[in-house]
Amino acid sequence: MRQTKAYLIICCILAAVWGCEKRKTAADGEMVICRPMISKVQTLDPTNTRDIYSALVVSQMCEQLYVYHYLKRPYQLIPLLAESMPAISDDGMTYTIRIKQGIRFQDDPCFPDGKGRELKASDFVYAFKRLANAKYASQNWSIFDDRIVGLNDFREYSKGFRKEWDVDYSRPVEGVQALDDYTLQIKLTRPWPQILELALNDYCTSPVPFEAVQYYGVDIVSHPVGTGPYRLKTWQRSSYIELEKNLNWRGELYPSEGEPEDQADGLLADAGKPVPFADRIIFRIIEEDQPNWLLFMRGKLDVMYIPKDNFDKVMMPDKKQLASFMQDQQIKLTIFNDPSTFWVGFNMKDPVLGPNLPLRKAISRAIDRQKYIDILFNGRVQVAHGLVSPGLNSYDPNMADYGYSKFDLNEARALLKEAEAIYGKPIPKLTLAMPGTDTLPKQMGQLLQRMLEQAGIQIQVDYMDFPTYMEKQNKGQCQMFISGVSASCPDAMDFLEMFASKYFAPGSNKFFYSNPEFDALYEQVAVMQDSPERLAWYRKLEHMILDDYPAAFMTHRITFYLGHDWYKNYKPFVFGYGVLKYHRVDVEQREQFFNRNYSLKKEGK
Amino acid sequence: MTAFIIRRLLYMFPIVVGVLLVTFTLFTLIGGDISQQIAGKNADAETIAEIRHEYGLDKPLFWSWDSQFVNHFKKALFFDFGRAMDRERISAKILRGIVPSLMLTVPMFIGEIIAAVSLALIIAYVRGTIWDVSAVVICVAGMSIPYLSFIIFGQYFFAYKLDWFPIIYLPEEPMIKSVGLPILIGILASLGGELRFYRTIMLDEMRNDYVRTAFAKGLSTTRVLFKHVLKNAMIPIITNVVLTIPHLILGSFLLERFFGIPGLGYLMIEAIGARDFFVINAMTFIFSLLIVIFTLLADICYAFVDPRISLK
Repeated sequence: MRQTKAYLIICCILAAVWGCEKRKTAADGEMVICRPMISKVQTLDPTNTRDIYSALVVSQMCEQLYVYHYLKRPYQLIPLLAESMPAISDDGMTYTIRIKQGIRFQDDPCFPDGKGRELKASDFVYAFKRLANAKYASQNWSIFDDRIVGLNDFREYSKGFRKEWDVDYSRPVEGVQALDDYTLQIKLTRPWPQILELALNDYCTSPVPFEAVQYYGVDIVSHPVGTGPYRLKTWQRSSYIELEKNLNWRGELYPSEGEPEDQADGLLADAGKPVPFADRIIFRIIEEDQPNWLLFMRGKLDVMYIPKDNFDKVMMPDKKQLASFMQDQQIKLTIFNDPSTFWVGFNMKDPVLGPNLPLRKAISRAIDRQKYIDILFNGRVQVAHGLVSPGLNSYDPNMADYGYSKFDLNEARALLKEAEAIYGKPIPKLTLAMPGTDTLPKQMGQLLQRMLEQAGIQIQVDYMDFPTYMEKQNKGQCQMFISGVSASCPDAMDFLEMFASKYFAPGSNKFFYSNPEFDALYEQVAVMQDSPERLAWYRKLEHMILDDYPAAFMTHRITFYLGHDWYKNYKPFVFGYGVLKYHRVDVEQREQFFNRNYSLKKEGK
Repeated sequence: MTAFIIRRLLYMFPIVVGVLLVTFTLFTLIGGDISQQIAGKNADAETIAEIRHEYGLDKPLFWSWDSQFVNHFKKALFFDFGRAMDRERISAKILRGIVPSLMLTVPMFIGEIIAAVSLALIIAYVRGTIWDVSAVVICVAGMSIPYLSFIIFGQYFFAYKLDWFPIIYLPEEPMIKSVGLPILIGILASLGGELRFYRTIMLDEMRNDYVRTAFAKGLSTTRVLFKHVLKNAMIPIITNVVLTIPHLILGSFLLERFFGIPGLGYLMIEAIGARDFFVINAMTFIFSLLIVIFTLLADICYAFVDPRISLK
């Protein structure tokens, strides 16, 4: 009897703790942004950051010299840590950049008194040298390879050491010098018109203080020390990241200019107000769709992607508006082009595919891209009629008229006959390398197999995990492969670069496509400054690629982004990540949502 | 008994070396080279070579004092597993994951044992009745439903619809709140199988003469079931319980992933997904070590529970 009583008492206490807890409200009106993250963050060291998830977090804490204006379109670069746009020499080979004065790193124990010191031009010199340090093995080195005078020599020199930090960083590099505390000079080996977009706007050139690297060693990956508006408060790997305001941040005002429609969209309501707005940013790392979706619908996440399985339910049949139950909850939908292209690539070194243009063309003709999209992607991608995706400067809106992505089974069959004549016998079964072993890759593989079969082309699909795929691709062991790329800036040069023979895999040319005419023109165009003439050459280069069919270009991604009504100042920004400082949460509005949900729950609805 | 324990401890050594050898061979020969993955998509050959050097992948596989396997063996011996692919120390990852995993699996395990054994005793007592048949049908139904369905339904219904629990693990809330639902789901999902297992054991015991004698002597049902039957059914229960303990430390893969609990199960799934063989190797080694230790413990427990067993 006594035992039963004790059990009852324990149960009552537990129930009291669990159930009778006062419903939590926003802590003192604190503004907190809560976002989902569907993959774990690999590193918080900007110099070695390449994946988008790490970049999203790093970019809130670390800054670079230049950044795209948040609201203006077409995208326009503006100074961030730089005081002004660079002074470029007449030959386009020397960039002189003034650094803003009075910028301080966040406070951190790595500094002698724990107080963040002032940023100097020498910190950028250190960042470039660190990128080049072979012992550090940055994923971003390929961006700078053979671009800056003396940097490759520094890389060679660094190879003689055992560890990253044994390398003497005081060794001068002619191409990256601090002329004084606030002036950085970069000398190029040849003109590189995209240096601002691809390098100086990239988080990989964000300054990391020498003291931090010395202090934390390898553990610098989890101790970011930057100059940005936020600093790391908590990082529970694989689970949770929390950033808080960096009190050393210099401050900035919300932009006052934008596109004409920004005013109507409320994006200029905060013009001139100091940013960052949010006190804290929370990233919840959850790889499964269901918990993310439930959290969003409960209001515990401010923004959300639409999971594939929920897409038909939450969208109207026209796929342009949200279903009424979503609108009733005052959830907003933003649809925008996410500049990217996906393709079925051909290995041009392959003896069957490489010398056989009609075969590659036949494969392209046999694929019904619209059907592929309708069946597999609920219309969340669009047909790629060429290589360059919408949203990039050199995108040709009339590309569909050229018919590169035309679906025509009869033509495909005729081309196959031509291909067999060239090959001298029936085309053997081809192999398509598919990264991923989940449902979607399998569906993609089966659908492509069926489509090609209709034209008489036999393929087998080799499903593999991504690292195996990458290894095979780089060794030229994939006959055909599914792949894609996302643009990092509005200039399509890094799309075109993938077809230059000097970038053969393990570089970006995974097709092993080699066309001397293309290479020669590419070299000419690569050093040209932006102009209508360059635009025409870009398009010419794209057509040269398309005419050779080193790939069947399939789709461009469209992003469907959801946000609660209380989440303000969200504007699609596809060429950078450090924009959360502009986002704002209407705390009262969020509170009203919770109150309404709470009342409904109490009423049992 | 001391001789028995020492002998068994000595047996452990070749077993653990064997496990190390098998996992190393599997992951190294079949898994291939991971340096490309660490180096990034468009990394040049030099960067890949540097990564290979950093992780010791450029050393001979077996036939050298400085070979990859010998280094792997040495590291395992001192529980120094080096760094994972994301350059964090593996020991730090494992230590961080143990508490969340145990917070989830220990209550789940205890709840499961108590519920399954108690219910099994009761069902065995009412064997042959409609209650027994119904329980077996429910158990089979429970076993037939995929674990994932329990999770998806439980998360949607108890956390989202009824709002009784947090939808996922919230670091800002006490851990006990976040693991409540996964514990409940874990118990419900595995109760069917466990209950059937223990019911079979209890039924075997209930048919013995000493049970009939005990009832004939007028002992109460509770006393017969919990004092006599349970005690005699302890051997298979101990085997099941003790050998489950290593799994507790490894956590629960699916529950941790769906509820975002940063335990060892989640760590293992992530490592498999990312082909982080350093982490997989370390976890496999620890797991095998635990299995060997707990098998020995189970044998020792038999001697305590059943005086007929002596360890020689």
